[in-house]
Amino acid sequence: MEPQPGPIPAKMNPREEKVKIITEEFIENDEDADMGRQNKNSKVRRQPRKKQPPTAVPKEMVSEKSHLGNPQEPVQEEPKTRLLSMTVRRGPRSLPPIPSTSRTGFAEFSMRGRMREKLQAARSKAESALLQEIPTPRPRRLRSPSKKELETEFGTEPGKEVERTQQEIDSQSYSRVKFRDSARKIKPKPQVPPGFPSAEEAYNFFTFNFDPEPEGSEEKPKARHRAGTNQEEEEEEEEEPPAQGGGKEMDEEELLNGDDAEDFLLGLDHVADDFVAVRPADYESIHDRLQMEREMLFIPSRQTVPTYKKLPENVQPRFLEDEGLYTGVRPEVARTNQNIMENRLLMQDPERRWFGDDGRILALPNPIKPFPSRPPVLTQEQSIKAELETLYKKAVKYVHSSQHVIRSGDPPGNFQLDIDISGLIFTHHPCFSREHVLAAKLAQLYDQYLARHQRNKAKFLTDKLQALRNAVQTGLDPEKPHQSLDTIQKTINEYKSEIRQTRKFRDAEQEKDRTLLKTIIKVWKEMKSLREFQRFTNTPLKLVLRKEKADQKADEEAYEAEIQAEISELLEEHKEEYAQKMEEYRTSLQQWKAWRKAQRAKKKKRKQAAEEHPGDEIAEPYPEEDLVKPSPPEPTDRAVIEQEVRERAAQSRRRPWEPTLVPELSLAGSVTPNDQCPRAEVSRREDVKKRSVYLKVLFNNKEVSRTVSRPLGADFRVHFGQIFNLQIVNWPESLTLQVYETIGHSSPTLLAEVFLPIPETTVVTGRAPTEEVEFSSNQHVTLDHEGVGSGVPFSFEADGSNQLTLMTSGKVSHSVAWAIGENGIPLIPPLSQQNIGFRSALKKADAISSIGTSGLTDMKKLAKWAAESKLDPNDPNNAPLMQLISVATSGESYVPDFFRLEQLQQEFNFVSDQELNRSKRFRLLHLRSQEVPEFRNYKQVPVYDREIMEKVFQDYEKRLRDRNVIETKEHIDTHRAIVAKYLQQVRESVINRFLIAKQYFLLADMIVEEEVPNISILGLSLFKLAEQKRPLRPRRKGRKKVTAQNLSDGDIKLLVNIVRAYDIPVRKPAVSKFQQPSRSSRMFSEKHAASPSTYSPIHNADYPLSQVLVRPFVEVSFQRTVCHTTTAEGPNPSWNEELELPFRAPNGDYSTASLQSVKDVVFINIFDEVLHDVLEDDRERGSGIHTRIERHWLGCVKIPFSTIYFQARIDGTFKIDIPPVLLGYSKERNMILEWGFDSVRSLSEGSYITLFITIEPQLVPGESIREKMSNMLKKFESQEDEKLLQATEKFQAECALKFPNRQCLTTVIDISGKTVFITRYLKPLNPPQELLNVYPNNLQATAELVARYVSLIPFLPDTVSFGGICDLWSTSDQFLDLLAGDEEEHAVLLCNYFLSLGKKAWLLMGNAIPEGPTAYVLTWEQGRYLIWNPCSGHFYGQFDTFCPLKNVGCLIGPDNIWFNIQRYDSPLRINFDVTRPKLWKSFFSRSLPYPGLCSVQPEELIYQRSDKAAAAELQDRIEKILKEKIMDWRPRHLTRWNRYCTSTLRHFLPLLEKSQGEDVEDDHRAELLKQLGDYRFSGFPLHMPYSEVKPLIDAVYSTGVHNIDVPNVEFALAVYIHPYPKNVLSVWIYVASLIRNR
Amino acid sequence: MATASPSVFLLMVNGQVESAQFPEYDDLYCKYCFVYGQDWAPTAGLEEGISQITSKSQDVRQALVWNFPIDVTFKSTNPYGWPQIVLSVYGPDVFGNDVVRGYGAVHVPFSPGRHKRTIPMFVPESTSKLQKFTSWFMGRRPEYTDPKVVAQGEGREAQLRTPGHLHALPIVPSIHRLCSPGKVSTLVTASCSFACPAPA
Repeated sequence: MEPQPGPIPAKMNPREEKVKIITEEFIENDEDADMGRQNKNSKVRRQPRKKQPPTAVPKEMVSEKSHLGNPQEPVQEEPKTRLLSMTVRRGPRSLPPIPSTSRTGFAEFSMRGRMREKLQAARSKAESALLQEIPTPRPRRLRSPSKKELETEFGTEPGKEVERTQQEIDSQSYSRVKFRDSARKIKPKPQVPPGFPSAEEAYNFFTFNFDPEPEGSEEKPKARHRAGTNQEEEEEEEEEPPAQGGGKEMDEEELLNGDDAEDFLLGLDHVADDFVAVRPADYESIHDRLQMEREMLFIPSRQTVPTYKKLPENVQPRFLEDEGLYTGVRPEVARTNQNIMENRLLMQDPERRWFGDDGRILALPNPIKPFPSRPPVLTQEQSIKAELETLYKKAVKYVHSSQHVIRSGDPPGNFQLDIDISGLIFTHHPCFSREHVLAAKLAQLYDQYLARHQRNKAKFLTDKLQALRNAVQTGLDPEKPHQSLDTIQKTINEYKSEIRQTRKFRDAEQEKDRTLLKTIIKVWKEMKSLREFQRFTNTPLKLVLRKEKADQKADEEAYEAEIQAEISELLEEHKEEYAQKMEEYRTSLQQWKAWRKAQRAKKKKRKQAAEEHPGDEIAEPYPEEDLVKPSPPEPTDRAVIEQEVRERAAQSRRRPWEPTLVPELSLAGSVTPNDQCPRAEVSRREDVKKRSVYLKVLFNNKEVSRTVSRPLGADFRVHFGQIFNLQIVNWPESLTLQVYETIGHSSPTLLAEVFLPIPETTVVTGRAPTEEVEFSSNQHVTLDHEGVGSGVPFSFEADGSNQLTLMTSGKVSHSVAWAIGENGIPLIPPLSQQNIGFRSALKKADAISSIGTSGLTDMKKLAKWAAESKLDPNDPNNAPLMQLISVATSGESYVPDFFRLEQLQQEFNFVSDQELNRSKRFRLLHLRSQEVPEFRNYKQVPVYDREIMEKVFQDYEKRLRDRNVIETKEHIDTHRAIVAKYLQQVRESVINRFLIAKQYFLLADMIVEEEVPNISILGLSLFKLAEQKRPLRPRRKGRKKVTAQNLSDGDIKLLVNIVRAYDIPVRKPAVSKFQQPSRSSRMFSEKHAASPSTYSPIHNADYPLSQVLVRPFVEVSFQRTVCHTTTAEGPNPSWNEELELPFRAPNGDYSTASLQSVKDVVFINIFDEVLHDVLEDDRERGSGIHTRIERHWLGCVKIPFSTIYFQARIDGTFKIDIPPVLLGYSKERNMILEWGFDSVRSLSEGSYITLFITIEPQLVPGESIREKMSNMLKKFESQEDEKLLQATEKFQAECALKFPNRQCLTTVIDISGKTVFITRYLKPLNPPQELLNVYPNNLQATAELVARYVSLIPFLPDTVSFGGICDLWSTSDQFLDLLAGDEEEHAVLLCNYFLSLGKKAWLLMGNAIPEGPTAYVLTWEQGRYLIWNPCSGHFYGQFDTFCPLKNVGCLIGPDNIWFNIQRYDSPLRINFDVTRPKLWKSFFSRSLPYPGLCSVQPEELIYQRSDKAAAAELQDRIEKILKEKIMDWRPRHLTRWNRYCTSTLRHFLPLLEKSQGEDVEDDHRAELLKQLGDYRFSGFPLHMPYSEVKPLIDAVYSTGVHNIDVPNVEFALAVYIHPYPKNVLSVWIYVASLIRNR
Repeated sequence: MATASPSVFLLMVNGQVESAQFPEYDDLYCKYCFVYGQDWAPTAGLEEGISQITSKSQDVRQALVWNFPIDVTFKSTNPYGWPQIVLSVYGPDVFGNDVVRGYGAVHVPFSPGRHKRTIPMFVPESTSKLQKFTSWFMGRRPEYTDPKVVAQGEGREAQLRTPGHLHALPIVPSIHRLCSPGKVSTLVTASCSFACPAPA
């Protein structure tokens, strides 16, 4: 509530003192009347007043504002009002107000108190009753302005009402008005003492009783309706006015009275009117009104406005249309309307701006569009249906219209050209007989005659001559002298010359006519004679000459008159000529005379000169030519002229006495039948019969249709009568008919081509005349019969003179016209499409035909043409052209001479390319979508650039940078770094190559669909129906396979079931020094003689019976998750526990490709749990147990995840990789011996563990993809013979058909992606000489050494390196260079070494555990087969049950492949004798002999010596790294290194290497014990090929040596690297923990 | 600071799987799940749900009404990969086997507000008539390996290129045909809000 100081409060106060309450009340009534609409405002206005009456004004102001449309009100008062209103409403409304209730106080300052009184006691029942009556209609309100109170209450109301209304309407809020009014009122009524009723009041008081109650009650419901919810407030408002008005009791009364008065007034209005004097109604006579209207109104006339009015004075209307300009179509407006408008305009706008030059209203061309721009309104549903009705439209060929530049929205569509070929007539044909030739000639002449006759040019010229003569006659008539003589003379001269001309033409024509007639007759005569001569008739032609006798006398007269006229004319001419010649003669004569004179003078001179200089005459070089004296022209002789004329007339004109000859050619004659003709003629006729003719129709040089073949008639006419409708889209370029003739059954020969003119657009079907087009052929035909041939001279004469040579020719009668469409529109391509073939009429309108298509590209030319042809620029037909020209010539814009794709691209680019590239976010998104490995699975790319860390790109950029830089830091050994780089690059290239193929999905990847069961399965399933629902022994069911594309973290688990283990090393007691010597000797004996009888008792004696030999447990670690089993007891423990390890794909990418490239390895470590009594004080033993659990690593099995992934499950017994030296442990062999397992003794050299590993859920390995890839690869390229490749495919298909599960390999892909036949890889290759030198005489030992060497080359599965895409085979030298490869490479190398050692060796492809499909090497030695695992260097006998190889697929030798077709494929059960074809299917056989394929392997492997110094350096570095690592892994403990022990170990490691990790244990132990007697020692050497540091670290970590947290533990670590040739490094790591014994 | 709370925007989806029109089938239930891009992560609500079994209404409409609520909130940094609701409807066949009756997917509406979507449903058809019969007989209709396939682009064109691997059949159509047995209408109210911390 903002206080608004101003004039109003100033006014208010006095008013409050003095104002007559009545006025207030009236105002209130006004308001009441308005309540229905404005109650809110009034409430706002008054509520404040209630509280603080003197200062209420500002709030009134507010209320004013709110009145203007703000319905909100101050909220403070709300509750109160509600309260009030409630009570008020409860009060009986019908009761009349009691005026006496509050009569006590008058003063305004008692107002508040009075208010309270009111609230408490009276509650203004009467007021509320009044309030109900509030809603008097709006007009009522107008009657109660305050002004009326100045006089009588009722009297002058009407007049003031008006004022009041206006005031109110003034957009003033009425409250303000109210104040104003009240202020006004103050003045006139000062004399009335406050508190005393004025006269009016008194009147009101008394009249109060007349208050019409029924009215009020009637109105109540109305009021309620109007007041609506705010009624309460209104009621309350009703209470307020008295408070505002003053403190008198009277106020209330007055108020009530006022209100009543209001109602009263309603009733009394009429009464008031009664006092008004009656006047007659105003009346305007119709005349006056019309008069007035005439002044005011203008009614335009419908009369046509005369043109002169519409034009400026003295201006003739000018009609542009008549001048040939295009004016467009005016919109159609009714004439009357136009007239009205014109009249109006003339009246309104005297300047006549609205009228054009032609005196008509300016009008644009018809603005009405021919089609609605708004879609049709769909009324009902059925109409929708109608809209959706399918409409069949023929497929429309795309119109290629590149050459048409101007296309003013040509309606694309089909146009139709109708070609009617009616027939063909030969004017000459080889088969024509002589008679035919003449007949043709005759017919031709006759046609000519007819044509001439029709035109009758001679007659026309004669008439013209006559007319001209008449004209000359009239021209000479002196009666018409109105033109100057000169002009007459001129015209007459012109006439005369024309007469001369015409006469000449006429004579020529007449002569021609005559000769034609003569020729016709002559030919006819010839023909007749020929017919007589040959005694038969060939043609039915017959010429009849009809004589037409004319009136001889008239004829003669005309003839004579003509001659006379001619003579006179000629005479005249001659005269003129004579006169002219005379003139000439005279001038020349004069010239001559002058010349003579000069000549003479000269002669004289010369004579004189000659006399003076006699020699001069010779010097005269130019003998003066003598001018001949001109002879005067002879005057013409009339007789001569007459004679001439007559002669000519006789020659060219029919003489008057001669009859007019009219030749008539008819075909009435009869042709001699065949039997009467001579042989030659008969054969000719037969020849004719054999011939047939057809026509081809070529449109734009393409054959579109052809007529039927029709035989040639005897009259050499062919009738076709065919109409071809050509549906075309373009303006035709050419239309050609080709005439083909077929003789008998021979192939048709092209006789001639006929070019048809393309019809003009006006020529439509039905109106086209039949035209004849002549054609001729240049072929030469000689016939052996009567036919004259073609192109061959022949003669009619007997002596052969007067030879004629005729070529085959003829006429095609046709008509070409445009078809008319269904709606009567001719189907003609639009003008703009026409480019050629338009002549004359359209030449002007058609730019293309006049300047040629090429001209269209030259804008200037086009513009020039447009200017020349005076195109109407206003014609809309020309609009596009004009626009083009204006654009082209103005030079503002140019027509680009190039075409741009995506021409709007630039507009759509919201930032420049550089800016876009600078955006980190864009770059990130881009790289991610490119599947760059670093970003392939980047999640939640930040919204803003600023949120993207720069380091995100660091790795990627570094990789890009380092692509060619070899990083040696990680890889210590430089060579390996290079190799790693190289591998990386190969991998990238391979991956890129197959990136696309990778994304192919098979149906099976997407849709699970049961395969169609065959009968057996169906039978089984039927059988199953009868099966027990829940059998007691449930069988294992196959698991559902899951494709690895919709998986997420945590979905995949690795299940490792550890079943049992065999032959775990057992503990040895902590031996004391005194036992040592005996032990060593025993050990020695054990080693060689295996005398356990002595061993075991002692052994047993060493242990107290209570102590177990070993307490092993298994710990499985995978992806840094570690699980372990419970602890079992004894060397042959059985756990049978299932461990569950979660699998997490790299980057959360579970796609097949990603899973295939998982490099993680499952480590299965076997530990011994050792309990150590840490009780230091024996006295406490009784009260407590203090033990420490130590775990001692015994060995491990490593299974790569990729193997599990591809195998789906791994089930079997594996050899535990136990270090050659396990300090404190030994193998317990006694048990075996005691049980007498002699046969397996040799096999149980190691410890074994039985495992079952699988992935849950079962993943579908991307095998199919791999197959696809390799299939694709095969297609790539190959240098193999095509035949060989086909044979391999066939071989593989056959094998797959028989044994789909057995591996069959014939071709492989080399490292460059080419397909190579597999045997090319096998070739004897020399092993390093160093190795050969070790055991020069022991072949077996050498073989083992070589195998060990091969196994030392690091293993890197292809599936990992190449993302599971394909298997690439590298040759042995590549393999040795790379120093990495998978089983195949190892096997190939080993096999090659064995071959070079002279062994019989094969590459064995099969399945092994845990590798899966793999390659082994099979050798034949001393009557038994050995199976070598190339990756470990171990070998197994064929019948070794622990051989990891489980299936044998095929054997590959250097020159053949054998596929295992035996029933079994386990190496234990098969025969390896490849010479037996029943067991082994060989690739090369008698049918396909071995073609002698050369090897891809190098001739010789060159080994460079390894750098020992580098190896030593590497050794030191590795040792340092490992030590650091161990310290890192023990962050909470102090790691002490026992140097003494370390040096001991370091000395020992080379020994291990030398003995290949065998048989040194006990010596070593003895030595260690000797040196470190007071230490409890546990440790072991690890041996592995060196590839990188990381596997070494992992291996050390997996042993868990660092886990010992005994406080006084010490560590020892030694590393030894033994270099082999070619940088093959054998790494030994000895880790040990030492605890000092007390 | 920026990395600590990267700017994201939130997409709050609530709605319900209202009803379905499957003129031929009855007693259906439906599953819903969301498929979204790499930049999206659900923050609240259930990403997957399986509804009750509903029967056809008895009136003329024969609607299968679930009124199964969906309420999930995603956060994302990138509109790319806007979430899609994938619906799959299952029901018993003649032999009482649970078979799939329809798959369908629709994007979560892009604009805030109340949206009603009607999703046409389809199921893959058997590759041959014989297979159709056997699958009918055995109650093992062809199904997608994952209903989410319908919301992804991959593997659709693939079937065009690799004409199946079913050697047992003489005729292997190159594409899995789809037949559409009905449609499901869902009502989704989506609201989207940006939560971007001011740069530090």
